Amino acid sequence: MEPNHLITKYKQHVLEEGAPPASVFKFSKGLGVSERQFFDHFASFEALEASIWQQLVADTITAIRAGKEWQGFTAQQKLLTFYYAFFENALDERSLLLLRFPRWKCAQSSSSQLGAMKREFNAFAAELITEGTENNEVACRGKINHTYPTALFGHFLSAIEFNLTDDSPRFERTDAFIEKSVRLAFDLITSNALESAFDLVRFLTGRHWEKNTDTAS
Amino acid sequence: MIDEQETIASGKVTRVAALAGAGARVGINYLKHYGRRAVGGSREKTHLHEANARTVYDTFSRLKGGPLKMAQMLSIDKNMLPDAYRAQFAQAQYSAPTLSYPLVVRTFRRDMGKSPTDIFDTFSQSALHGASIGQVHRATIGDHTFAVKVQYPGVADSLSSDLAVVKPVALQMLGLKEKEVEPYFLEVKERLLEETDYTRELETSISLSQKTRGIPGIRFPRYYPEYSSSRVITMDWIDGKPLDRFAQSTARQDQKNAVAQAIWDCYHFQIHCLKQFHADPHPGNFLVTADNDVVVLDFGCTKRIGSAFHRDYFEFLDPEILTDRKRFEAGLRRLGLLTDSDSERHRAIIIENALVGAELLGRPFAAGNFDFGDTDYMASIFALGEAQQRNPDLKEIRSARGSVDAIYLNRAYFGLYSLMGSLRAQITTSRKVS
Repeated sequence: MEPNHLITKYKQHVLEEGAPPASVFKFSKGLGVSERQFFDHFASFEALEASIWQQLVADTITAIRAGKEWQGFTAQQKLLTFYYAFFENALDERSLLLLRFPRWKCAQSSSSQLGAMKREFNAFAAELITEGTENNEVACRGKINHTYPTALFGHFLSAIEFNLTDDSPRFERTDAFIEKSVRLAFDLITSNALESAFDLVRFLTGRHWEKNTDTAS
Repeated sequence: MIDEQETIASGKVTRVAALAGAGARVGINYLKHYGRRAVGGSREKTHLHEANARTVYDTFSRLKGGPLKMAQMLSIDKNMLPDAYRAQFAQAQYSAPTLSYPLVVRTFRRDMGKSPTDIFDTFSQSALHGASIGQVHRATIGDHTFAVKVQYPGVADSLSSDLAVVKPVALQMLGLKEKEVEPYFLEVKERLLEETDYTRELETSISLSQKTRGIPGIRFPRYYPEYSSSRVITMDWIDGKPLDRFAQSTARQDQKNAVAQAIWDCYHFQIHCLKQFHADPHPGNFLVTADNDVVVLDFGCTKRIGSAFHRDYFEFLDPEILTDRKRFEAGLRRLGLLTDSDSERHRAIIIENALVGAELLGRPFAAGNFDFGDTDYMASIFALGEAQQRNPDLKEIRSARGSVDAIYLNRAYFGLYSLMGSLRAQITTSRKVS
């Protein structure tokens, strides 16, 4: 029993019934395999779903890396390319995403289902950030740079959320959202907007603290 | 090549914020102006207008789409805006900001199932020109160069909300009255929606350029339906100068005259013979090639007129109508410029003003040969517009009058006259077109 076969059958069940099977036992029985064979590959239906989301990201990354212009792209262009390709692929899975993708409302419970996807995405994003730092596209802010992939993942989830609630023709509003928000994200990590903000905050709060310490002493 | 935009105003809230910013800066410019005057300095009002125009233009171009289109439209109706605003807005056609290359690829893939580089041997990653609702890339197959126009996503979708947000602020910034510009806003909206339909634009471009073929000095790019879609239009790349740069260039006056004559003939052939015309006579839509041929671009906005309207409208170009009061009045009625509900006094005011306008605007036709380099004439047209706007009698009866057809045709003529004026052209106006 191939894991992909299990995934295909599981998707089929969810799409047709609108919900996961009642139990692994019932699902396996329907496939004519033993429960043990299912658990050889996945610990639960949640784990199986987690691998679907991960695969969606992994397939997208493989596909875009094969593009002939990929090498010449800036980090920003690469991230945009990822997004557009992802949502193109996601069209084939839209019903499944709508039914099963962990939405924002239940963000707390979603961490395990999205863990694998997040690791896949973060590895990719970290690579882009390193590249971007090398060619000065991303401002070098030491350890803060390590937090970018996680922030970008949050942005990625917001794009998925936007897409799943988008009702514009051909989901064009999603495209516009990606275009504008990625630009803003890169404006923030490229320019010294953050430095200026910190500087201002330090200036204002520093004085405040000074005063407080003065009166205290 | 143009710079990719660094920040883009996103969402309704930031758009309002961006516009409010411009409003404030206009105010500050005025304060500076009057402040200076108060302390004895005398500053030309045109300088003030220039500073304001730049501020307003910067704001509009950051917003793209609807607002930018509106800026362009207002820029054609010279009458409605001080000169400085107009010059700034006229830039809009070729200096709007650009969108990212991955989004262009996305558009291609979705519409045609292929990347630009699968179709073309080369494809420029940055746009070479921006337009209000799209941008132009340069592509090649072998030796052949193509211009590929790609539309911004979601333009049609965000159009209505953009205009609703922009209208009140724009009116205040530009000092215009809502009632006066209402028909224009409606027109912008309608036209912009029409322009987002690239499939229709491609068909119109092909049919109108084929029908207009054969006018000396006029050329059209070839269009390629096989490389076009609902969001992409591919045509020949033709090197040339935009018309207003050509007008300012050191080309000889006889060359400028020839260019002007070609445009004039092209318009009248389309208006009279085809009764369908290119309704966007913006300098950015005409290129002048090295051998002084005019290339007509962008058929996003064309207008068809009916025979009856055509007859009623052009009746006013007959010099005899100006002396025949009865016929003149009947003509105004047919165009919907006079209505039965008008009082006797209003009727007299309208007729009197229309007479002045018809004589002035019809003068080039009556003369047979006309010199648009006559600055007195051009100035009196603008003066007329201004006088009519300020005229308190007209103000009290100002409301949207006449058919929408007349708005398009008037706009085409205003555009045409200002193109002729910028070329200081001496042309034959009465040439019969078959």
